[in-house]
Amino acid sequence: MGFPDRPRAPQGGQKPKDPQADSSVSLLPHLEAKIRQTHSLAHLLTKYAEQLLQEYVQLQGDPFGLPSFSPPRLPVAGLSAPAPSHAGLPVHERLRLDAAALAALPPLLDVVRRRQAELNPRAQRLLRRLEDAARQARALGAAVEALLAALGAANRGPRAEPPTATASAASAAGVFPAKVLGLRVCGLYREWLSRTEGDLGQLLAGGPA
Amino acid sequence: MPAGRRGPAAQSARRPPPLLPLLLLCVLGAPQAGSGADTAVISPQDPTLLIGSSLLATCSVHGDPPGATAEGLYWTLNGRRLPPELSRVLNASTLALALANLNGSRQQSGDNLVCHARDGSILAGSCLYVGLPPEKPVNISCWSKNMKDLTCRWTPGAHGETFLHTNYSLKYKLRWYGQDNTCEEYHTVGPHSCHIPKDLALFTPYEIWVEATNRLGSARSDVLTLDILDVVRSPQKQPGYPHSTENTWPGHLPLGSPVTTDPPPDVHVSRVGGLEDQLSVRWVSPPALKDFLFQAKYQIRYRVEDSVDWKVVDDVSNQTSCRLAGLKPGTVYFVQVRCNPFGIYGSKKAGIWSEWSHPTAASTPRSERSGPGGGACEPRGGEPSSGPVRRELKQFLGWLKKHAYCSNLSFRLYDQWRAWMQKSHKTRNQDEGILPSGRRGTARGPAR
Repeated sequence: MGFPDRPRAPQGGQKPKDPQADSSVSLLPHLEAKIRQTHSLAHLLTKYAEQLLQEYVQLQGDPFGLPSFSPPRLPVAGLSAPAPSHAGLPVHERLRLDAAALAALPPLLDVVRRRQAELNPRAQRLLRRLEDAARQARALGAAVEALLAALGAANRGPRAEPPTATASAASAAGVFPAKVLGLRVCGLYREWLSRTEGDLGQLLAGGPA
Repeated sequence: MPAGRRGPAAQSARRPPPLLPLLLLCVLGAPQAGSGADTAVISPQDPTLLIGSSLLATCSVHGDPPGATAEGLYWTLNGRRLPPELSRVLNASTLALALANLNGSRQQSGDNLVCHARDGSILAGSCLYVGLPPEKPVNISCWSKNMKDLTCRWTPGAHGETFLHTNYSLKYKLRWYGQDNTCEEYHTVGPHSCHIPKDLALFTPYEIWVEATNRLGSARSDVLTLDILDVVRSPQKQPGYPHSTENTWPGHLPLGSPVTTDPPPDVHVSRVGGLEDQLSVRWVSPPALKDFLFQAKYQIRYRVEDSVDWKVVDDVSNQTSCRLAGLKPGTVYFVQVRCNPFGIYGSKKAGIWSEWSHPTAASTPRSERSGPGGGACEPRGGEPSSGPVRRELKQFLGWLKKHAYCSNLSFRLYDQWRAWMQKSHKTRNQDEGILPSGRRGTARGPAR
């Protein structure tokens, strides 16, 4: 499914070929406003994700907060980091991947929050940030999907169910692995938000088509 | 840190987290098929230890490709590399670590003990919980705002800091029957407090205590026994209230503590007809009196508008009006009333004076001369001549009523007579040409 044709300026009295061009023209400003709005939201949430990550590493204790800390990048079921090839994909394909990742993040963030509630029960701000992050990821993912639907680029195939918390849980055998996993999830959250912000920015620059 | 002999490693008091089905995550320490990376396992995993104890830990490498050895491995604790002399290669694939005289954990999520490969990459980790068992919580104090709820505070045990997350749970039960209940609303008035909002019984004692639990054990406070009725306080008197001055915190409230109420509402001050030296004060009993079924006595204080000296009228018994007398004519007065409940649910105990009501102002009528002292409510330390005269008159009237069958005699009648006297005095002055200063003028009037 492609994007609706952009209406061409009439040349020498030529009328636009797309019979729906008139209605598309009237929708464009609205779509553009929506894209702009979603982009702003992604930008804001990226900042929040940075703060979440900083607070998280602080509460796990060193070496988590040290610049030299380089834990293994554990694979997380149902969610991977943006691939290097992501940037080369068409923008609507990238946004589909962004939406899928944002849908997969909330249950993972919930698992991290539950574990942190055991490890750092007095860290109310961290727990609140994790709860907010799950909610915000859901909201941004829905906004991106709505944009894709408006652009006619929504995924027509069967929608992949986001992994449930039980299926993707990082209930590691020990506390240290759980800390590392939480760091991984918070890192992925930040990466995908940043990626979504970038992709929406590109969409904004290029227009809906 | 010198290497020591193996000390007792306390069993972790924490239960392992419940296993969640369909785990797909690769756990640190589990071999990653085809990854080509070495992985390892640290033992013990997440131990809990007493401060000052020792720990012997091992890092066992699972090599892929085979041949990975313990050579070159090293340990860090909270990001700091541990001295090599604390480590020992036990065998080809196992590096041991001996820590002695452990300090309390740096963070509540546990100290991070990590096993590294030669190149610095992380092979495995384990979190140490080093601390102290909780001590018995002390100084439990409870109060009720409205005889329906209960708020309690306590102090952690003597040393306070356990270096481990310590959970405090306030428990309560009816003394003679009933099951243990657990308070659910914590940190309402400070970090060690809990609020029970409802479903509390009156006239029957409760037993209240606090249980402290952490990974190394638990401790229980002494039991406090109280009746909700005996620990009622107005908001201003509750510990932690910003302007509370009448509490002796810390210290628990003994049984039988007195009660107070809000100040009387709707205080009105008005003139008494044309009487220039009197004002009438009326108020309403505090609504709480109705619920609590107790009586009240009142106190009134008043001052001249531009003065800071209050005069107090004491012992205004269980009535809701009073007349101030001996006032200056043509003067604005501020008046306040407060209440002291007593006889709650039939007891004879006096309560605590409430706060003063909001000041209410009124002015006395203007006059040529000031009125005589005395009135239904005598000012304390006021005009000395009016006080005793008024008191004696009251006694005389009381005697008359008893012995002379003058049932109609009352202060009201006396005041009416005074008002009449003043009027007739005015009229006489006008007839005789007496000026406001009291000097005689030239106007002719009937000779006396």
